[in-house]
Order: sequence, then structure tokens, then C-alpha cells
Amino acid sequence: MLTSEHVIVEYKDGRARPDRLERKRHAHYAACAEQMLAIYRTGIGRQRRALHRDVETLFAKEPDCPLRRTRAFAKLLDDASTYQTDPKGEASRLRLRVFEAAAPLHPLVRRKDRLFEHAEAETKAAIAADVGLEWDEIDARLYADVMAFQQLECFQGYPNAVALLSRYNVAQLQACLYAAERVTVRATQDFKTILRYAKLARLLHEIRRVGPSEYVIEFSGPASVLRGTRRYGVAFARFLPALLACKGWRMTAVVRTPWRARAVLELSDQDRYTSALPPPEEFDSGVEERFARKFGQQREGWRLERESEVLADGQTIFVPDFVFRHDDGTTVLFEIVGFWTPEYLANKRETLRRFPDQGILVAVPERSLREGAEPGAGVIVYKTAIKVEPVLAALEAVRGSRSP
Amino acid sequence: MRPDADNAVRLRFDRGTLLLQGVPRNRARALPAPELWEWDGRVRAWRADAMHYAAIRQIPDERWAGAWRDEVPGPPPVHWPKVDLPPLRPEQEEALTAWRAAGRGGQVIMPTGTGKTEVALAAMAETGAATLVVAPIRDLMYQWHRRILSRLGYDAGIVGDNLYNLQPVTVTTYDSAYIHMDRIGDRFGLIVFDEEHHLPGPCRREAALMCTAPGRLGLSATPERSDGRHADLDHLVGPVVYAMPLARARGRTLADYDVVRVPVALTQTEQAAYDACSRQVRHYMAAQRRERPGYSWRDLCSESGADPAARRAQKAYYLKKSIEDRAAEKLRVLEDLFRLHVGQRIIVFAGSNVMAMEVSRRFLVPTILSHTRKRERSAVLDGFSEGRLPVIVANRVLDEGVDVPAAKVAVVIGGQASTRQAKQRLGRILRRTGNMRATLYEVVCEATREVERSRARRRSDAYERTRHRRV
Repeated sequence: MLTSEHVIVEYKDGRARPDRLERKRHAHYAACAEQMLAIYRTGIGRQRRALHRDVETLFAKEPDCPLRRTRAFAKLLDDASTYQTDPKGEASRLRLRVFEAAAPLHPLVRRKDRLFEHAEAETKAAIAADVGLEWDEIDARLYADVMAFQQLECFQGYPNAVALLSRYNVAQLQACLYAAERVTVRATQDFKTILRYAKLARLLHEIRRVGPSEYVIEFSGPASVLRGTRRYGVAFARFLPALLACKGWRMTAVVRTPWRARAVLELSDQDRYTSALPPPEEFDSGVEERFARKFGQQREGWRLERESEVLADGQTIFVPDFVFRHDDGTTVLFEIVGFWTPEYLANKRETLRRFPDQGILVAVPERSLREGAEPGAGVIVYKTAIKVEPVLAALEAVRGSRSP
Repeated sequence: MRPDADNAVRLRFDRGTLLLQGVPRNRARALPAPELWEWDGRVRAWRADAMHYAAIRQIPDERWAGAWRDEVPGPPPVHWPKVDLPPLRPEQEEALTAWRAAGRGGQVIMPTGTGKTEVALAAMAETGAATLVVAPIRDLMYQWHRRILSRLGYDAGIVGDNLYNLQPVTVTTYDSAYIHMDRIGDRFGLIVFDEEHHLPGPCRREAALMCTAPGRLGLSATPERSDGRHADLDHLVGPVVYAMPLARARGRTLADYDVVRVPVALTQTEQAAYDACSRQVRHYMAAQRRERPGYSWRDLCSESGADPAARRAQKAYYLKKSIEDRAAEKLRVLEDLFRLHVGQRIIVFAGSNVMAMEVSRRFLVPTILSHTRKRERSAVLDGFSEGRLPVIVANRVLDEGVDVPAAKVAVVIGGQASTRQAKQRLGRILRRTGNMRATLYEVVCEATREVERSRARRRSDAYERTRHRRV
């Protein structure tokens, strides 16, 4: 990740536009990216400072390239590198030894005279002889543990130039979000992934349904109700790759500008950023997938949708596996309980109990039922696969009970 | 599970805030101190800044409409294993009494070198509660750790510098406090903000807002901030309960000192490069201003991304600064000063890490830089205070509060002109030892911006009534 010293954001008319390299306008960056990768690939054993200087030189004549962009590239390349770190503190020991040897001879003067008889060059040579190295070598090792002088040990790198440029674009987006106070996502699918990753980033949400399978989700943190705070900026940045991997969303973030004003960052799945994460799995289990294929998109007036509605009770959310919509407007939620652990089942039971008024149809595997348990209405028991007929029958029963 | 169904009113610490559950939204009037609370629909409860915990606790029970439970964990009492505090000087005693009288909340302003730390240690000793000490940098954090160990016999925990060891008494830095306070804010009865002018920044202030500690002590020599936010300290820490002017300190607890300006000339090559850079910047700015009056340096910086000419001007400016910073002549002057003060401990302040290391490699003297590890740092500081190492070179790290025992000579060979930095730097060399006068040398390049910075420094209060001479 970048730090705030690499951020490039243009604030204009209340909008925040993070720096982005575009395929057309920045076509020549592909070659630069190749060269940068080459600098690091062939740079094993070189100092961090030298590598950074080479990267900077690469862009020196570039008409449109702020220093921050160059440094951001160096940071991203460093992130995929391992440098020698001197864990045993050899440089530190060498320093103390040399400085203590020189202390009684202080000051080391350029030319000795009657008052000060320790000349710089002679003293250094004497200390070098004592340590058993050439002075030049000592001089090189003396501060070898300082970040800028560390040597590149290995470069994990990026698969190719395009990957580095994509990473750069997403990294600038994330860096812009460090200054975000709140993030609002308007989504039409992949709710589960969006909400799960937001929870992993320890964000709180507020969900509003704005239409059939369309929700506005506002993300922030606990203290956000008390004051605008950038405390959760890193959490937004961490959450972003998951959002970028999803489809059917628009995002608005309120960010603080360096001049303590506010600006808005807008983003959607149409902006074609490349996430480092894979897109969400279409199905959670084989049982679901087989059922969806068997049922088809539409059957006897019922349309089948996958995870298209969200139930929320405070910070607990529940996204049933399927939603059936009948042509007459009847909507039925359908949740498939899979073959999992007792904890999973207890969890599912608790969730379903939280939303008692939703008339959720539940499919339960036979072997998870307790001996002699009588499944109630709205429960479909299945062995290995869910059949279409009992589901249709149950749907019609619901439709019958709801119609006047 | 529906929170409103359970009628019990509960107060909890929730990630840096106080959460009051069991009072429905429409019963806001049943809340004591309603101005502190905000309704949080996401969790259907009332939220307040953790900082208000003491105020909320002081509300008499009858003002709460019914029973309530306080589930905020009380900080554990602390028994100091071995208290060994020196007797306080009168002004320290005054400060402590004033803080106590203010209900153990407020700021104590005392000049550097007058024993703020002793006041804080005495406050900790008598409060006897779990305490968090927040210091600006890790050197100071470690220094607090050492002081607490030697004066109160307590091996405090450390949060910061890649360590996370939380104890009832813990030392940390402002940056770590900001990051971790939402997790640890409910553990302390007393929080001490050392060099408290670091607190009011837009992020760092959350270290105060997210902490429930009722006892608060802010320490500083120079609470003023150029952005005016020091006014917020009244709210975050408490009012100023004691302020001692610098004038009272000087001559009594602090040594007298001289400020000596040593001008150096750039070498011919340096001067040529410097002038070329200056010309480039000046011409660029002038050309822009002809087109656009009011064109500023900030405009240039923001355009440097898209415009190679602006970028070249920006680079020329940085090159100019680095020529100033690393002028070869400075090393020669340094040799003269080392000769002049042979046998005395000298601290050199460099304007950059690179310059600090250059001095170190030329004279084979140790550095204290931000990345210097704990062990080397103590070895160097100990060697210096015992007189085994005659010189240390530092960048900004030693600017504030770090104890450097009894240095009488300091040399500034670079740095910014800020009042606070100047005062803090003086503080370093002014610790009282015997009657010897302290001397601060400022080595500045002639005919460059450094001269102006040096003048700006001298205008500050800290330099008033000091003698100036030229070498």
C-alpha cells in the first residue's frame, strides 16, 4: 500500500480524482513499467537508494509525471521486494566499535599540528588496520542498515507491466480513501461479498432498500456519528479490492481535502479497475448450483434470482440464497441449508429466528434433522439434491396464502 | 436480541466511544447530559465520546430515569513497587498542587529543563491508578519507561516502535496512541500527554477523545501551535492549571547561554550551482507572475506534475536547499569548533539524515537518528553522558525533551526556523550543571535563505536577552 506521501489526487469542483494511468493517454507507460521491472529484476545486491534513483531517472524527461508518481512506483516495487535488513545489528556494532576507537583521538583534523595530532586519514587507516578491513569497506558498511542503503535481496515482482500499472491505479484509489470519512455503495448484486468484506474491515453499515434487489449501503465506523473522522480511511482502502471485484455497484466516498474541505470520490464497476481479488463465486455450494440449473431462469410464472435481497437487523445481515418472483408480484425468499457442521446449523437457526416475519422457504438436508423431528410448513427436506416439484408446490402454497 | 426489548440500561466502551443501550430513540429526554449523546441508528443505541466518561459518572443516580449498569471496566489500581522521588522544587510543588486542586485534570506549562517529568511522576505516584503516558517520539517513550522504572520501581509496558506490550502502566507515542486508543481507551485512570502541543492535530486528538481516563495531565514548554489549535487543549486535556514563564526559569534552574552565529561561504562550485538554481527558480516564478499575478510556490508545486518546466524549477529549489544543507565549508567550521571546545561535550544538529551521516563519517562520531535502535541509542547516550564519547550528531530526533545530560555546547548546522524547535534545541544544552555558560553555535551559509531562518529563530522569545556575537 502507498502512504499519504505518495497520494496524487486532483480536487476540482468538489470532486476528488485520484491519479490514474490510462491505456491510451499513458500508452508509453507500459514500456516504462517494463523497464522498472527490469531495474529491480537485475538489481539484486544494489542499494535501495540506487534503485530509486534509476526509477526516477526513467521518468526525468516525461512531460507528465509528478515526483510522487515516481516515488509511488518505487514504493510498489519495494512492496514486492525483500531487502537485506541486518537483523544481527552488525552495522550498529561496527559503528560503536569505530566511534569508541576514535573518541580518545577526537577531533580528527584535516592536517595535524602541534595541538591536534590526529589527522583524519591516518586515524582512519589505523582504525581500519585494527578492525582488519580496508577503510573504504568500513565506510561502506558503517551505515549499511539505514533504509536507503539496504541491498535488494530478492524481487517477487509483478507478473507483467500491465499488472504493475493496474496495481498503481488501485493503490492511488486506496490512498485517496485514506482521507475518507464515509463511503456509500449503491448495489444491485454481490451484496454478500460487499457486506462480508466490509465486516472484515470492521466497518459498520446502514442498509436501505431503494427498489427490487437494489440497496444503498452506507459504511462508516463507530465514532462517525460523533464527528467526521478519517480513522476508518484505512478500513475503506482495505475493503476496496473486494468491491472492485464485484459487479453492479456505484460508490460515493466523502473525503477530506488537504485544505480541510470535503470532496466526493465517485466510482463504479464501469470504471474498469482491476482488483487483485477474484470475482465472487457464483454459488456457495454444489447443491445450490444444481438446483438453479434444474429450475432454470423462469418456470411456471416464477423467476429465479440469486442472492438478490438483503435482510438486515442492526448489524446482522442475512442474504437468502434465492429469491422467487411471481408475475403477480409475489416474492418468496429461499434459503438452502447445506451439509455442514453443528455450529453452522446453529448459526443458520439463529439467523432464521431473527427474521421471523419474512416467510422464508428453507431447504434442509434430511440427515441434519433430529430423529423424529417434524418439519414445519415452509420447510423442504432433501436427501442429496433439491427437486423442483416440492419447491414449486411450496411456492404456490405461499402464493395461495398471500392472495386475498 | 432486540436491544430495546431488554429494559436494562447499559453503558459500554465500544471501540473508542461510549455506547448507551436500552434507552429508545424517542426517549432522548430521559438521558442525563443529553448534549453529550448522539443517536446511532446502526446499532440502535446512544453514543458519546469516551472522553466524557468522568462527566457521565458524576451525574447523580436520580437523574437517570431508572436503574442502569456501568459496564465500562474500571482501571485497576496500581501499587508502585518502590517510590523514590526527589523532593520537588517549589515551582514543581506549586504545579502539582494546582493540578490536584483542579480535580486532577489540566495542563502544566513549564520551560524545558525545569522538571516537568518529576511533576508527572509525582502526580502518578499520588493518583495510584493505571496510567498511560503519551510521548511524541520513541526516544521519549523509552525515556519515560526508564524514569518510571527508576522513580516508581514499575516496569511499564510499551506500545509503539513495533512493540505491543500493554500493562496497567504503559508508555506510548502519539502515533501509536491514535492507532490503538479505540482498543485500549478504557484501561486507564490517568493519561499523561507529554509535549502536549502534539495532541490537537486532526487525527492525534482522538487519543484524548477515545480515552475514558478521568485523570488528565498535559505537559509542555511551548503549547502554542502555528495553526491555533492549542486552544482545543482546554477541551481535550483541561485548563492550564499552572504556567511558569521562561524568564523565571533562566538563571535559576537553567544556565545562561550565548548564541553565536558562524557564517560560512559556499565554495566556488557550490556557489555557482546555488546561484544557477536560484536564478532558475526566480526566472520561472517571475515568468509565471507576469502571466498570472499572485502565482505562488504552492501553484508551482501543484503544477510540477504536469509541467516539466515547473518540475525543473521545483528540483532546482530542492537542490539549492541541499547545497545549503551540505555545504562543504560547514565541515571545516565544525572542525574549528571541535578544536575550540576540545574536552567538552558537543551536540551537533544537522538539517538532514544525510548531513548527519556525513558529519559522522568525517569525524567518526556517533549519530542518533530516527531509525537508531534502542540498544545503540542507549549505548551512545550513556557513552556521551559518561564522557567517553565527546560528540553526538542528531537530526530532529533530539529536538524535544530527550535528556542529553549536561551538554554545554550545541552546534546547529541546518534546520527550519520554527520557534518551538529553537526553544527545544536550547533546552537541550541548558540543563543545569555547575556555573559554566552554555553556547549555541549556528552555522549558516552567507547570502542564502539560511541567514533569514537564523534571524527568524533569534526573534523568538527563547533568544531574547541572550548575547550575540560573531566569530
